[in-house]
Amino acid sequence: MNAMQKDTAKTGGFTNRLFQIKKTGAIVIGKALIAFTRLLGRGGTTLPGRMAIRIKPDLSELLAGQLLKGVLVVTGTNGKTTTSALIKNILKAAGYSCIHNQSGSNMSWGVASALVDAASVGGTITADWALMEADEGAFPKIVQDIRPLGIVVTNIFRDQLDRYGEIDRIQDAIGRGLQVQAAGGFQVVNADDPSLVSLDGLQGKQRLTYGLEIELIEDSFQNTGRDLKTCPLCKKELTYERVYFAHLGHYHCPTCDFRRPRPDVRLTGLTIKADGSSLLTIKTVDKQININSPLPGIYNYYNLLAALTCAVALNIPEATVVKTLEIANPSFGRMESFTVKEKELVIALIKNPVGANEVLRTILNRAEKATLLVAINDKIADGTDVSWLWDVDFEQLATRSEQLTATFAAGLRAWDMAVRFKYAGLDQQQILVEENSGTALHRALQATPPGGKLYILPTYTAMLEIRRHLNRMGYGRPYWEDR
Amino acid sequence: MSRQINIYHLYPSQLNLYGDRGNMLAISRRARWRNIELQIIPIEPGDQINFDRCDLLFMGGGQDSDQLLVAADLKKRQAEMRQAVEIGMPVFAVCGSFQLLGNHYTAVSGEKISGLEILDLYTEAGDKRLIGNAVISCPLWQPAQTLVGFENHAGKTYLGPGLKPLGTVLYGFGNNGQDKKEGAVYKNVIGTYLHGSLLPKNPWLTDYLLTKALEYRGQDSTLEKLDDSTETEAHRAAVYLARSWRHRMRSSRA
Repeated sequence: MNAMQKDTAKTGGFTNRLFQIKKTGAIVIGKALIAFTRLLGRGGTTLPGRMAIRIKPDLSELLAGQLLKGVLVVTGTNGKTTTSALIKNILKAAGYSCIHNQSGSNMSWGVASALVDAASVGGTITADWALMEADEGAFPKIVQDIRPLGIVVTNIFRDQLDRYGEIDRIQDAIGRGLQVQAAGGFQVVNADDPSLVSLDGLQGKQRLTYGLEIELIEDSFQNTGRDLKTCPLCKKELTYERVYFAHLGHYHCPTCDFRRPRPDVRLTGLTIKADGSSLLTIKTVDKQININSPLPGIYNYYNLLAALTCAVALNIPEATVVKTLEIANPSFGRMESFTVKEKELVIALIKNPVGANEVLRTILNRAEKATLLVAINDKIADGTDVSWLWDVDFEQLATRSEQLTATFAAGLRAWDMAVRFKYAGLDQQQILVEENSGTALHRALQATPPGGKLYILPTYTAMLEIRRHLNRMGYGRPYWEDR
Repeated sequence: MSRQINIYHLYPSQLNLYGDRGNMLAISRRARWRNIELQIIPIEPGDQINFDRCDLLFMGGGQDSDQLLVAADLKKRQAEMRQAVEIGMPVFAVCGSFQLLGNHYTAVSGEKISGLEILDLYTEAGDKRLIGNAVISCPLWQPAQTLVGFENHAGKTYLGPGLKPLGTVLYGFGNNGQDKKEGAVYKNVIGTYLHGSLLPKNPWLTDYLLTKALEYRGQDSTLEKLDDSTETEAHRAAVYLARSWRHRMRSSRA
């Protein structure tokens, strides 16, 4: 193999042609596979990209290099999808065209699939921006491949430890990605996350931070996992003046001089209105902005600030940004709702304890009777280790069990979930187990009375399965058309 | 008078990776279902520990940075802890804590961090992590029972000649990916790399620990049978997944 490569290198013209053939081949095969997988009712976000980069490993670099304005990458444990959806909407409202790996396929092959899908057969791309959501583990490689002008890092939480090893390693990966970003770019970083603030990789780049500066929200529920409690510099325990959730808050190290930086963009005022929307007062370096945001929950305030800060870095007019953020819809799988046979069905993706706790808290606060279906798969995109289920506060369900019409455990790890429900304090007889997600969906719909609500909490691949079933039943658009 | 057990949970805010909360939940629920009064006492770094009142010591896994902090603190209690172990105090240690109970840990840099020397074993940092579902055959019962869990460790652990493993690897990597041994058992000390959480899906191991804790406290150690149909089914399903081609293709030395 090596010898062959050396041989072709000597004959320049031939290499050029081979180069062209490989590029076109990779794109044609990628496109054909996208079409084919969609015919099968799948999104075509994994396999086509995988094949295309196997044929032409630097394909993403070649395609991304043609973008008129550049590339933006969003990474972090929670909030990637919502944040990038918000940024995409802002870019579109500002009149730019934008390629986006929307359906959460955020490994390097997902990025390649999105680019191949947008390219012509000849390998030309004419969009202004590519906005790519990057998995934390794949982040350094993706940065190297597509050379982003801007990087947004939302937070680091415990997530899918099987893939990355420990949290220290995720932090490491994000640090490496920030290092390899080319000079002249910008970074948007959450100031309330001590593990991000300490990362360097700033040489020749601009860094903008954002954070919350509001009073603590009254909250009956205690978050369990504070993942990073020690000072990233001297390893002593951090002191918190305020904890917004998990390890996000206002912190300082009692020993060395590490402390939360004053953010460039700050949420300083919050009023929650009767319709569930939030009136936000945000201060940037030189002005004050008021936004009436329809997105609920503290995690969404962070997502909104991240998107807003990115827009500030891109000099997008304030009016455009505010208008876009005020009409934002919950992203793909993040609290999406459908009406099926007079029943309201809500899908909320869960993938780690912090996110899942927020989802449970949001739905239990709605204080209405509902059916619950939790679907747990353990494929690579879900995380192959299901230990995290034990760090989710499913105990909250037991204290409100009168709110549940029926409780289903589904997916490849349905039985793990059933045990989790049992030890959370639900009655064993009350837990219905159905490994097949499609069948579980039908049974859960049957168990829900007309006018009632069904909450579906799936992991990533379980969500794709359930959406596929819904599409077949004629509900919702296929997710790859969701753009 | 109802039976009572005190569990010391060592450094819950530092050693809490991989759903260790599930292990504590499993043991406390199964005690409560049998009307055993169980108290979990969290031990923070720097706390005074009186091992006389401890019927079961639980130590979880931590991330590398926290683990060094914990090792230094724990070293101060080494003598008392060894004494308690010798007279039969039950200890259940997962992942990082399992390594900590050994003689030493050799880091990638070659630096040797000394352990508590309770288990005759040592650990070397490996270059690749051993990650995936694992099933072992465990001879704590006759006939042997299977235990199923998930392992994720970079360290490779080697047992001294006299130390028994917790079980023999049927699927997965075990202590080092080579000798088919998983975990270690010495007196009433159990160390293992398996989480998942381990105890909820292996109720017989949870009951084993409860029995040992009751015996150690000098109380009646008979446990009423519970309806374990959900747990048994989860155990069966997890073993099936661990054996499947789909899983074995994926479990990797990443």
